[in-house]
Amino acid sequence: MGINIEVHGLKLAYDAQPVLEETSFTVERGDLVALLGANGAGKSTLLRCISRILRPTSGSILLDGQGLEQFDSKEAARKMAVVPQETTADFDFTVEDIVMMGRFPYLNRFQKEDQKDREIVRRSMEMTGVSHLAERSIAALSGGEKQRVIMARAVCQQPEALLLDEPTANLDIGYQSMLLELAARLNREQKVTVIAAIHDINLAVHHFNRFILLAGGRVMAAGRAEEVITPENIRKSYGVPATTYRHPLHGVLQVSVVRGRSSEENRSGSGPAVHVIGGGEEALPVLEFLSQRGCRLSVGPVSAQDSGCRFAHFHSLPVVIVPPFTSMNGVHKEEHLKLMRDANMVVVPPIPFGEGNLPIFEEVETALDEGKPVYIIDLAGVDRRDYSGEARQLLESLVEKGAEVLETVDELHETICSGGGK
Amino acid sequence: MAGLVILLCAVAVNAMVWGSVSIGWQNVLVILLEALPFGMVFEGLEIRSVHEDILLQIRLPRVFLAAAVGSSLAVAGAVFQGLFRNPMADPYVIGISSGAALGAVFAMLSGFSLAVGGFGAVPLFAFGGGIITIMLVYSMARVGQAVPVMTLLLAGIAVSAFLSALVSLLTYFAGEKLHMVVFWMMGGLGGATWYQVRVMVPYALVGFICVSIFSRELNAMLLGEETASHLGVNTERVKKIMLAGSSLLVAAAVSTSGIIGFVGLVVPHFVRLVAGPDHRFLLPASALLGAVLLIATDTLARVVIAPSELPVGIITALIGAPMFVYLLKKRKKLRYFGGGG
Repeated sequence: MGINIEVHGLKLAYDAQPVLEETSFTVERGDLVALLGANGAGKSTLLRCISRILRPTSGSILLDGQGLEQFDSKEAARKMAVVPQETTADFDFTVEDIVMMGRFPYLNRFQKEDQKDREIVRRSMEMTGVSHLAERSIAALSGGEKQRVIMARAVCQQPEALLLDEPTANLDIGYQSMLLELAARLNREQKVTVIAAIHDINLAVHHFNRFILLAGGRVMAAGRAEEVITPENIRKSYGVPATTYRHPLHGVLQVSVVRGRSSEENRSGSGPAVHVIGGGEEALPVLEFLSQRGCRLSVGPVSAQDSGCRFAHFHSLPVVIVPPFTSMNGVHKEEHLKLMRDANMVVVPPIPFGEGNLPIFEEVETALDEGKPVYIIDLAGVDRRDYSGEARQLLESLVEKGAEVLETVDELHETICSGGGK
Repeated sequence: MAGLVILLCAVAVNAMVWGSVSIGWQNVLVILLEALPFGMVFEGLEIRSVHEDILLQIRLPRVFLAAAVGSSLAVAGAVFQGLFRNPMADPYVIGISSGAALGAVFAMLSGFSLAVGGFGAVPLFAFGGGIITIMLVYSMARVGQAVPVMTLLLAGIAVSAFLSALVSLLTYFAGEKLHMVVFWMMGGLGGATWYQVRVMVPYALVGFICVSIFSRELNAMLLGEETASHLGVNTERVKKIMLAGSSLLVAAAVSTSGIIGFVGLVVPHFVRLVAGPDHRFLLPASALLGAVLLIATDTLARVVIAPSELPVGIITALIGAPMFVYLLKKRKKLRYFGGGG
């Protein structure tokens, strides 16, 4: 099973408005391809050409080297099945009826569905998890259930290629990945060639192994994720600046179109200047909270590659960086003191303390002595994240000198709104 | 389905019993059996030859014609509703009836005495008008190789409105023939002859076979043409055959009996409500139920103000509409056809 699909110089225009222009690519037998591109890039049009709904003005599409137009309707339907974005199913057909329609290309005009067809229908419904819906009316199902039924019908067609046209556009996140996992499974187990137009790049990278990026009706890039999903390509095809990164949990390439701030924007922020001590996951909610409220932030000291450090770089914040695996020492002291002096206040988020970062306290104490307001978040919980055994004592001595204790960062809200400082 | 066949027989016998002259049902059965070419002879019952004539020459052809017309309209209605995916569609939706009416009215007013076989000018012109109209609508809606159903529907409605205006115009000038024109438009089966049956039935059969062998394709097309095409249905060819088949059914029905409303709209809905949308069942069941409904209503049309007759179209709507509403209420949900909930 599995066929290869070659597309050569495809051209198509709607009312003289060109949609596809010289689109060419090859999909190998058993490929699992995501078709990416902005709205109007030609993804659906391309799929509709391959599924023979639209006839291109010029160019050719070959299935296993044979021209698409040489197949008759039923032959083509035995080769390819399609799962559209949405199916109108207002009629009272049962789920089983709908899935059985997948057998249409295998039946002669006067042939009745036999035991073998029913067996294939049963297996298809099992595979897509809709067996329990068999007797229900398709019109009464939710969008996610309906889409799985349509998927079952496509499976029932026993195709060599499966085309999906934004199949997850109307589904919740659970059904989205379930549906794409089904497509990936068909590809894995039955070597079905899969081409899917997908909007959500971050979802696509999880399930697909080849990517074709369309822009203006042409193939802009094709290949593995790293080759196709680059900030440059995304910017050119979707028209937005983007950042790509490896996801911290699963390491898969991801795209973000959230824009970091520039240093000018930081300087012109409406809120008070706040220096946040230390980095790490624990500091992130505090940084994000303050950043959302327009504070001009500075960060440090943090280890290079720490998440606080990445946050600072992403938003072009002033930051004190300590090389990884070295302990804090006097070298960064002056830099750190300068950032604290430039700020209206200093915040100590609930970060872990170890031998390595205890020198920070001295520096904070200096700032406190110089009259900077200092806020310590979650003093009560410090023992849980203290690996030095001295943190509580050191923090409490800061409190004695006038540092304020907050339970959560939310309590800073009013202080910020009033312009900061005491 | 078997129930429908039994119902059909019962209604048919009943239709032959009732009338301005009542014939006992035993007599009806005997006359029928004796008329069959098996040489059966029943003793003991005294059969008046006038009864035999009424039955065999007047009532029986009328029952056959009612059955043929009723099932043609019901099947064509089911096909149009499926093809257009629109519950409002009826056999006349794309203008066949207006074309036929124009032909018929034209023939009546011009007073052509043309006759082919046993037909006068009216049915011939009606048939021709219907067929020419559908061809016109089809060619107007065609875009290259394809005929989008929405365009077809709209072109049909436009053409239909135009032709109806012409019919009204002609009717306005009908003078003393007005009565005849209005009666034709209401539809009726009066004066049915064996000749009409012999001509009508082959058309109805050909049309029915045409559409019913494509019922699986029509099922797929209910899910949308693109989906049907993904499943391997040659949608353009199916549309052509469906249109040709059902146009034949409608044109034949209209030319023999005028414009009988309601049967073609409601019978397919009845069947869908009870048995679902599968055309492999829907089409034959609609044919049977259409026949039943038209025979029964035609019987009523004959007897309620006997010896005069009412136009059968009035009765079909008077009886069919309340029954349909009752069924709708009972089911409470319209989702069987585009209702969503």
